Amino acid sequence: MNLDGINAAILAAHSAGDGVSLAGLYRRAGDEFVAAGSIDEGCFFLTQAYVYSLEYGLDSAASIRSVLVAHGRER
Amino acid sequence: MDALQIPESEMISRQIETARGLANDHYIGSDRYDEEREALLFSAWSGIAFASDVPHPGDAMPIDFAGLPLLLLRDHDGEINVFQNTCRHRGMILVEEKCNLRGTIRCPYHSWCYNLDGTLRATPHVGGPGVNYDENVDRRNLSLFPIKTHVWRDVVFVNISGDAPEFDDYADAIKERWKEHEKPLFAPGGSSSFEFDVACNWKLAVENYCESYHLPWIHPGLNSYSRLEDHYHIEEPGCFSGQGTMVYRQIEGERGERFPDFEGLSEFWNKGAEYIAFYPNVLFAAQRDHAYAILLLPKGPGRTVERVEINYPFDPKDRPDLSKLIESNAKQWYGVLEEDLFVVEGMQRGRHGLLFDGGKFAPKMDGPNYLFHLWAADRMSSRKLRLAAE
Repeated sequence: MNLDGINAAILAAHSAGDGVSLAGLYRRAGDEFVAAGSIDEGCFFLTQAYVYSLEYGLDSAASIRSVLVAHGRER
Repeated sequence: MDALQIPESEMISRQIETARGLANDHYIGSDRYDEEREALLFSAWSGIAFASDVPHPGDAMPIDFAGLPLLLLRDHDGEINVFQNTCRHRGMILVEEKCNLRGTIRCPYHSWCYNLDGTLRATPHVGGPGVNYDENVDRRNLSLFPIKTHVWRDVVFVNISGDAPEFDDYADAIKERWKEHEKPLFAPGGSSSFEFDVACNWKLAVENYCESYHLPWIHPGLNSYSRLEDHYHIEEPGCFSGQGTMVYRQIEGERGERFPDFEGLSEFWNKGAEYIAFYPNVLFAAQRDHAYAILLLPKGPGRTVERVEINYPFDPKDRPDLSKLIESNAKQWYGVLEEDLFVVEGMQRGRHGLLFDGGKFAPKMDGPNYLFHLWAADRMSSRKLRLAAE
């Protein structure tokens, strides 16, 4: 999986302190890895997305959590 | 001499006629400062902020209270909470600057997330990359440390030790005295909220505030209408002390406009006004048409930040016609309170005089001040006895 494009966007969002974008970008990366069967990598990125979703009070937190729970990564 | 069972350095006679004040080290000593932090500030109900500092749900403000990192929060239901501003993981400061939290509090170090009620919500990667739980990390036992909190007259009070009486009991005497003033308060902010960074021990600001003896010298502007003999002592041992005036004069605008009164006040308050130091560190004023509170925030033995907030019985947003008068009133109070600064700073420098013996009280004039010394000495004594028993 090629993360070059999204990685640059993630770094830019970190630099800008843009947590809402980070939630979306990490979610995208996580979903792609999970879809490709790379569960460990996917759950790593989904965890990142989950944290920023929680911090910014985003609705996406619930669905991300569900995925993490389904893969035994969250309780 | 009916002295307390405390060391010589803390000895306060039970009679003002023979008493000396607290010794120099209570004002300039680092060790004594630390002891008083516990005995006078943390074990009592201390004012740390104004509720108006966090007006909106999710508003958060870090506070350094005498060196203790605290976090003032208004949760999403509008309730005010105070926590220790320290992550339960590595002790990182959680919130560095005043902000609005849309969701959870995220620790900037390893991103442990806390709900605004202090419960630990998420522990990312705690069980390894992408694994967010660990059998040995029980979130239920890792909430932020809560601080007992109560809001009164827009002041956020905290009891750090957690073992003080409930606030309503602690403040029973002053609430009874000012029961007519139990009314909603509105803070305009802007120039009506200001602060002074003062080179003095916080107690000196209490002592100066609670006596009227200094008024003709330090506030000569009062002499024309509010003479020394128009004032009386307010003395409630163990709780508060201060001074009152019987000739309170309302501020007027250019067209003779005045602020509306608090509703339902008795006739006394037409001319009466009271200025009370509510121990340990909040200075209050009650007047017919406005109030204020001053928080004394210790920054070390010889430095105090005084935060002032003026309040009104009406929402200033509803009375644009009074905005100029509000500005004038803020300017007036700023000027009056500024007049006291050289005194408290001068007393602080004077406490470096090795031969100073705590000071001779003027029995007829220093009663309120003496009561504060007595309160402080008693609490220090209790602390010492408690430590000795442990």
